[in-house]
Amino acid sequence: MRTETAKMRNIGISAHIDSGKTTLTERILFYCKKIRKIHEVHGKDGVGATMDSMELEKERGITIASAATNVQWSGHSINIIDTPGHVDFTIEVERALRVLDGAILVLCSVGGVQSQSITVDRQLKRYNVPRIAFINKCDRVGANPYNVKEQLIDKLGHNAVLMQIPIGLEDKHEGVVDLVAMKAIYFDGHEGETVRIEDIPEVLKADAEAKHERMLDAVSMFSDELMEAVLEERVTEELIHDAVRKGTLSQELTPVFMGSAYKNKGVQTLLDAVVRYLPNPGEVDSLALDLDKDEQEVKIKSDSEAGCVALAFKLEDGPYGQLTYIRIYQGSIKKGDELHNSRTGKNFRVGRLVRMHAGSMQDIEWAGSGDIVALFGIACASGDTFVQPGLNYSMTSIYVPEPVVSLAITPVNKKSADNMTKALKRFVREDPTFQTYVDPESKQMIIQGMGELHLDVYVERMNREYQAQVETGKPEVAYRETITRRADFDYTHKKQTGGAGQFGRVVGHIKPLAEGNYEFVDEVKGGHIPREFIPSCNKGFQSALAKGCLIGFPIVGIKVTVNDGQSHPVDSSDLAFQTAAREAFKQAYMKAGPCILEPIMKVSIEGPSEFTGNVFASINKRRGVIVSAVEDGTFGRVDAEVPLSEMFGYAMTLRSLTQGKAEFTMEFRKYGRIPENIVEELKAEYEKTRKDSASKKHRSFKV
Amino acid sequence: MIKAELIKRSPLRILEKAIQGGLGKGNIGVLASRKGVGKTACLVHIATDKLLQEKPVIHVSYSSHVDYIINWYENIFKEIAKKRGLESAIEVHDEIIKNRVIMNFRQDGVLTKHILKSLEVMIRDGQFAAETLIVDGYDFSQSSPEDLRNFREFAERMGLEVWYSASLKGDEPLFDEQGVPYMLEKFLEEIDVLISIGFKDEYVRLTVVKNHDQPAPGELPLKLDLKTLLIAEDK
Repeated sequence: MRTETAKMRNIGISAHIDSGKTTLTERILFYCKKIRKIHEVHGKDGVGATMDSMELEKERGITIASAATNVQWSGHSINIIDTPGHVDFTIEVERALRVLDGAILVLCSVGGVQSQSITVDRQLKRYNVPRIAFINKCDRVGANPYNVKEQLIDKLGHNAVLMQIPIGLEDKHEGVVDLVAMKAIYFDGHEGETVRIEDIPEVLKADAEAKHERMLDAVSMFSDELMEAVLEERVTEELIHDAVRKGTLSQELTPVFMGSAYKNKGVQTLLDAVVRYLPNPGEVDSLALDLDKDEQEVKIKSDSEAGCVALAFKLEDGPYGQLTYIRIYQGSIKKGDELHNSRTGKNFRVGRLVRMHAGSMQDIEWAGSGDIVALFGIACASGDTFVQPGLNYSMTSIYVPEPVVSLAITPVNKKSADNMTKALKRFVREDPTFQTYVDPESKQMIIQGMGELHLDVYVERMNREYQAQVETGKPEVAYRETITRRADFDYTHKKQTGGAGQFGRVVGHIKPLAEGNYEFVDEVKGGHIPREFIPSCNKGFQSALAKGCLIGFPIVGIKVTVNDGQSHPVDSSDLAFQTAAREAFKQAYMKAGPCILEPIMKVSIEGPSEFTGNVFASINKRRGVIVSAVEDGTFGRVDAEVPLSEMFGYAMTLRSLTQGKAEFTMEFRKYGRIPENIVEELKAEYEKTRKDSASKKHRSFKV
Repeated sequence: MIKAELIKRSPLRILEKAIQGGLGKGNIGVLASRKGVGKTACLVHIATDKLLQEKPVIHVSYSSHVDYIINWYENIFKEIAKKRGLESAIEVHDEIIKNRVIMNFRQDGVLTKHILKSLEVMIRDGQFAAETLIVDGYDFSQSSPEDLRNFREFAERMGLEVWYSASLKGDEPLFDEQGVPYMLEKFLEEIDVLISIGFKDEYVRLTVVKNHDQPAPGELPLKLDLKTLLIAEDK
């Protein structure tokens, strides 16, 4: 079945843990006839809610990974992307938010706007996602949706407008009054499946009238037509819906709905609101990067006839192989089509195209622009862009930053070791900033990533999803060494005492290279170094870069120029010139003002502005430089550049400094020079470990 | 040219000389012009000159995004470095940005009281020993002399000199006979140095209208180079 773009919605359901998000999703699936039976999140039947596809989520009753599912509601096709509710799972969150066009912000009518609601709302705002609010749990003791609406205004700065009022609260919660149609809505039947529309009960009439007027006042700001109609007293439901939609799409209005998912109240009316007020994919601007034009931004259009551009936003290992969830931004995909992966440069054929429901799937022949579907058995990584061959677009920058933190992990037993391998293989594919290798010296498995928290999440997931228990070492920063001035070298490698001799001489200089890690320039004239040995010199220099003399980290930013040398007709060899180059580098390196570089992170901290002072102080304490501070009413954001080595444990510090109300994100910014006093510490530490390992080796020889 | 020489030969020394050796701590200076004449360029040049002298600067902006302001600083620094052939420009750049903080507020959303508190927090808790405060995009037409007085008291207490930009609005004439913009007349008591920027004979020129308690020297031998957007000597 082909759905036109205007009848498509890609939405997320965002909320803090325990506001009833999973229950709400479950009810949506039920009313859209995707499931036949309702299971509870903490249900006793052992099945759990359907959207929770990961074990961990089933166990905790929360949702971490994003699964997409498709439902149909009044002639519209809605893809629900289950966004992670936990703040720490950044990559998952960012990817899920990227593919959303709109969101339902779920709030608890008792708990109201909590710090985590603030976080999810900020994330949605950052990605310009229009949202509608649903105040859930109106059946609970202490429920007060009016209070929550005020909190939406005060704490989140939303222009929140009630579209409904409750008919009874707590155990007397029966349904809602629709303030547009001015009708009472009840949800009958065992599972609330029958919607009954009645006149507004007498006791609520006056209140409903007053709130209807207030809603009209707020909403008419978005439509001149409605404003005129209000003055001329010829308001229609259609005009109100149009105005609410306009306000919602511009993110200047948040219509507020309410009910109780658990008691099956208000879910169908919420679905009506999704269809009415949230944007279709054609109403959202999307940008791609043209890889042929140095990643220049190009606008892509939601048109099924144009060349295909799709983003792989989620990989999932299922019982039948790897599933790749994609969002089609432009063009369409047909079974059997050939697509091009713009990261790997490889083409592949679409074997199976499926539409997903959390646990099951349905084969389809075709999917159009704006849709979210899944491909089967495609070798790719999360974040890859698939395009029609001939287009060279990417939805994300293909430059992946080098990892800046590493952590040694050791499985506790054989079973964990096997499981760990499986888990790592998957994580590496999912997340390009996560890498692994085996340390040749310690033979330990090392995982690398963009921060302490980043690695912690994977260690936790290894344990939870793969039952791989590992012991972790201390996180280590990926330092680099470089030089600050030019230095000359003239080195002769000579070993001519019996047997096959070795001879090679290299002359030239090294100097700092502003951009890039390494450059080799050959200026040898007159064949003083024979042509065939020039690559040997290059290789020798490169091997010297692997481990610097200061603290044993890789050397970057070096330009090597070789301009003279000498060879021997018999004793010169590839190996002799490699050795000569390596030693020549060592000779020049210490004269070239070597220094240590450390990763400097761009840290953004967001939270209530009352804590800004604490945040400033914490940055200052960590050798950080505050770049900017932005204040917008009660909220503030501080951007700073802080050395990564100082950021360990910052999540905890920030939590305690701000009563858990602030969050931070961190990304690699640049490598910067380390102050002298810290250089000495690092050198001393390096010397100590070197001596320790030397004495260990010595002892093992004795044995 | 090395940094010390560059500071010494900066055209801003001419401005300083004209206003009794500079604005001075606890004082308020205002650069006034119509929109789009070059106030932000002048402010950023003044700020960059302070940064080169290793004097920390807080740049408060009401209107623009942080990235936009950072771009201004990058461009002005690049032009200065290029024009004067500054040695080790990259190192100098990396060094000076450590002394610069940009703070962005919404004038309609955040009260002056609150802004001053945030600034104090930055100076005290952030241990950022600012000497100069640059305030760009402050809407004088929405403000009152009391508001400016609060800034002044803060500047006195914290030992700051404060440079404002004022965007002049409305119909001609904008200035009275003394050259004081009508829009700023009610603020004049709180302002120590007032400089108007405007086109004259195809150049953007700077004119000192108020000079502390001394007679104003009038038009300065300075112009805004429209190509580089730097304040330059008018030879």
